[in-house]
Amino acid sequence: MRALIIAKKEVIDITRDKRTLIMMVAIPLLMVPVLMGTMMKIVSSQAEKASERQLKMRFVGQEYAPELYQAFANMDKVIMLDQIPVDSIQNYIQEEYLDAAIMVKGDYQNLIDQNGQAGIQILFKGTDSFGTAKDRIQSVLKISEDQIVNKRMDRLKLNPDVVKAYDVQYMDVASRQEKFGKLAGGWLPYIFIIFGFMGAMYPALDLGSGEKERGTLETILSSPASRLDVVMGKFLVIMSAAFLTAFLALGGLVIGIQQISEIPPQVLSVVNDMFTFKTIAMIMTLVLPVSAFFSAMLLGLSIYARSFKEAQSIMAPLNIVIIFPAVMGTLPGIDLNTVTAMIPILNVSLASKDIIAGAMNPLYMAEVYISLFGFAALSILWCVKAFNKESTLFRN
Amino acid sequence: MIQVKNLIKDFTLNKKQRKEMGDEFKDTKILRAVDDISFECKPGRIFGLLGPNGAGKTTTLRMIATMLKPSSGTITVSDYDTVNSGQHVRGEIGFMTGQTALYDRLTPTEMVKYIADLHGMERSSFEQRKNHIFDILDMHEFADRRIARLSTGMKQKTSIARTIIHNPQVMVFDEPTSGLDVMTSRAIVDLIKSCKEEGKTVIFSTHRMGEVNQVCDDIAIIFKGKLYFNDTLDQFKSQMTQPTFEEEFIHRVGEA
Repeated sequence: MRALIIAKKEVIDITRDKRTLIMMVAIPLLMVPVLMGTMMKIVSSQAEKASERQLKMRFVGQEYAPELYQAFANMDKVIMLDQIPVDSIQNYIQEEYLDAAIMVKGDYQNLIDQNGQAGIQILFKGTDSFGTAKDRIQSVLKISEDQIVNKRMDRLKLNPDVVKAYDVQYMDVASRQEKFGKLAGGWLPYIFIIFGFMGAMYPALDLGSGEKERGTLETILSSPASRLDVVMGKFLVIMSAAFLTAFLALGGLVIGIQQISEIPPQVLSVVNDMFTFKTIAMIMTLVLPVSAFFSAMLLGLSIYARSFKEAQSIMAPLNIVIIFPAVMGTLPGIDLNTVTAMIPILNVSLASKDIIAGAMNPLYMAEVYISLFGFAALSILWCVKAFNKESTLFRN
Repeated sequence: MIQVKNLIKDFTLNKKQRKEMGDEFKDTKILRAVDDISFECKPGRIFGLLGPNGAGKTTTLRMIATMLKPSSGTITVSDYDTVNSGQHVRGEIGFMTGQTALYDRLTPTEMVKYIADLHGMERSSFEQRKNHIFDILDMHEFADRRIARLSTGMKQKTSIARTIIHNPQVMVFDEPTSGLDVMTSRAIVDLIKSCKEEGKTVIFSTHRMGEVNQVCDDIAIIFKGKLYFNDTLDQFKSQMTQPTFEEEFIHRVGEA
């Protein structure tokens, strides 16, 4: 009961703190969609710019391969810069005055006519962010090569299938939701894990070391509330803040996706199918124990610190510790198994991916919950122990 | 009533703490902050615990308030043992330090209500008691203003109100006037006197000799964890070999 009195007071206290409110509500709800929207807009405008851009090309040896030269000259949005001296080509590409150069040798036509392989050298700059020059050159070369091969087949009176022994048909049984979930699903837990941690950090700082610094801790400790009451009251509030922040970040993400016009309608419909009430509810059941884990751990550290500042310096490096397993979960090839299901944070990331993809393994999911609730319980016990330790409470 | 018997408090020092405390403590693994002290604080009397900084005053008061556990010895507050009946002890005491120790984002009313709720006060008796205290301390005007916006004097009044809201029978003051101006210190001294008039047991630590002379009935001098005097103020005065309280205090501590 006294834990609830403490929790009630802490709720009043932290909801009057603008900094905590901004961190808990405004940032997750607004920052995620704004950042996502801005990022998508920049990426799509850059991609559009790159594909709309006129390619500046130099073809060396056009007299040996006039048809190939013509094929490039006929490309959309291309300027052939035939005046550039051959020995300056590399510098021009390096300085990005020229996008690419195609170089054929004098024996080109001979080799083509004799069913040989004509060497073609392509010079380009690999840092070209969207690979536009290389891709466009490759598509022209592919068409040209196909034409030459067909002519050769005709000449040799051979069926083109002679050089194609297999007719492979790939039948992907994964649904679009599954594929998208596996591909992009990892980023979703990354967002709510980070925000859950941030949502717990500020109240934990305020309710632990902040209380020590203000001298109010002695007031509470000299009241009839037991240490367990004090810990549980504070813990409940921090955990609720972490949970709320993670939930709002998720909400911000869903709202943000709806607002981004750059997302193709097919992808948007898959995303909308993914974010059902059931999916979100299941993800939140993972967020709850992970919020408890963060909250107890941060409260324990906060109460250990001598001051608000010291608590901040202890907690800041933890961001990296949290981010690392969260990022690991976004990497392809890392899936939920008996081992990864036991690693906190990584298991949340991987389990969320599976929930979003709609491909959950009940055994692994059970393991994830056992691990998360286990770690949450351990961190709460540790926090209670820290509160009962005189050397922690009165470190000064 | 507070009864302290053969009280000892040891702190284990880690390497970092030993280093921070200087060469004198470089080989001290266990620091004895309170060393076998015994005294009694009676209802209706004010007991002054005197000593320089680091003498063991705060440690002793924190043990009385159950924040720290004694390494050995016993403390009883209103016949409750501080180790076995900590919650009962805390229900009996009002603890106040020199810091206002208030929540800036609450109002005085909310602050006082919070403490009352923790003490399990009924709503009606809380309202009655709160109105009585707010009348005496003239707090109604700023009762619903955020504490962060109050003056030091207003904050100190709020601090007094939250200390006495549950009408504790035992008052523990840990250097309550430390760092306060004359006017605010006066308010605290008046509070201590009024507690005596109400028959409460009062213990307070200080190193201001003027205050001792003004309010104390009994005094104990503590230095390096040991008690060097424990009797009435009148007895202390009669044994004085130095012209002033301050000089007598320095003389006694110097001899120790």
